[in-house]
Amino acid sequence: MIPAQFDYAAPATLDEALSLLAERPDDAKILAGGHSLIPAMKLRLAQPALLIDIGRVKDLSYIREEGGQIRIGAMTTHYQLESSERLREICPLLPECAASIGDVQVRNKGTIGGSLAHADPAADWPAAIISLRAELVAVSSRGERVIAADDFFVDMLTTALRPDEVLREIRINAPGGRTGQAYMKVHHPASGFAVVGVAVSLTLGADGKCSAAGVGITGVATKAHRAAQVEGALVGSTPDEQTIASTASHAADGVDANGDIYASADYRRHLAVVYARRAIAAAVAKIK
Amino acid sequence: MKIEGTHELRAPRERVWQALVDPSVLQRCIPGCERLERTGEDSYAATLRTGVGAIKGVFQGSVRLEDMSAPTHYRIVVDGKGQPGFLKGAGDLDLEERDGGTVVRYAGDVQVGGTLASVGQRMIQGAAKMMAAQFFTALEAEAQVEQGDPPPRHGFFRTALRAISGLLRQIFKRH
Repeated sequence: MIPAQFDYAAPATLDEALSLLAERPDDAKILAGGHSLIPAMKLRLAQPALLIDIGRVKDLSYIREEGGQIRIGAMTTHYQLESSERLREICPLLPECAASIGDVQVRNKGTIGGSLAHADPAADWPAAIISLRAELVAVSSRGERVIAADDFFVDMLTTALRPDEVLREIRINAPGGRTGQAYMKVHHPASGFAVVGVAVSLTLGADGKCSAAGVGITGVATKAHRAAQVEGALVGSTPDEQTIASTASHAADGVDANGDIYASADYRRHLAVVYARRAIAAAVAKIK
Repeated sequence: MKIEGTHELRAPRERVWQALVDPSVLQRCIPGCERLERTGEDSYAATLRTGVGAIKGVFQGSVRLEDMSAPTHYRIVVDGKGQPGFLKGAGDLDLEERDGGTVVRYAGDVQVGGTLASVGQRMIQGAAKMMAAQFFTALEAEAQVEQGDPPPRHGFFRTALRAISGLLRQIFKRH
């Protein structure tokens, strides 16, 4: 449980971190909360030659509202998101998702940016980020670019971030009108990771019909996916019990599910359908 | 653990077969393969520096090809170990002609042990699929090259590009 030798840098500014990373993009890793990377290093499954700790970089940890968007700094901890009163009012999915992550210790240290950049196939945030159609701001010494949530997750533990880029901010369009949100997951009993997790954000129009729907699902495949068929079936429908059940049945359509000793691929697909149904119903029930 | 899948390659079966039994081609196509040396008839020693995302490891092992029946079938037997764990397994590859292209079916059984298995079990199947996709994407490019021409290059972005264009082809075919 002792990591291999590595160099350590704790720059005070993001620019400094980026120039360090630009020098050694292939063997350096950014350290955020360290709740995925450090365990992997202790098991020597990851052996980066240089750790760039961005914990001392100021102004990476915040929750702001700007231009109709919620902006979250990448180093914002799960606990900060879980305990934000303002988020509970304007985007309750974020605190709900945060509260379901790991345990208290993990939530106190782990960060939303670290979790997203690590892209664990069973992490909770990717489901929420996809359902909310968030934008992710990546920065490097060459400049800044914005990546859509759908393009960000490339494959297992692989994101669209280039080797010299750091995830700086997450932007979410604040849901307006009659919106209900919910996150439902099957906790893995040992790790707390999502065996399957479904995030739903659903808006009703004045006529009582669904005018917008976002459904993100984690845990089923090598990366979190958007349940596009469920969204398509929801929009324009009146989400009663029967409609919800029939739309949710498409939750794992076209997804190449993975199995492990705990849950087979078929079981995961089944869970995706059941939890999509429950999460949609819960989201609808929260609409005032 | 069972690993199986099907990949459709836009290259004639004869060429795919030649690529699949050519150690220098295999070395270029297997993700992270640093060394593949012939140790006997259809037997090779390999060094792999490979992984997914931040999780990486170095593996040493042997590869043996059995039941060779050109150009349709062989069995591959792998035995390797490295710092993160060990793996042992065997699988069958079947090549079938379809519309001038080749459908490769693979099915095998792999045992993985050590740290990798005890903490990474939930990711092994996904990682295997990901690497198989990378391998067959590179293999397709190799099999499309005319004999005598220089081999294609397989950087990360080239492989990603090929994978995306392959995906697009599949999507358009469905409609």
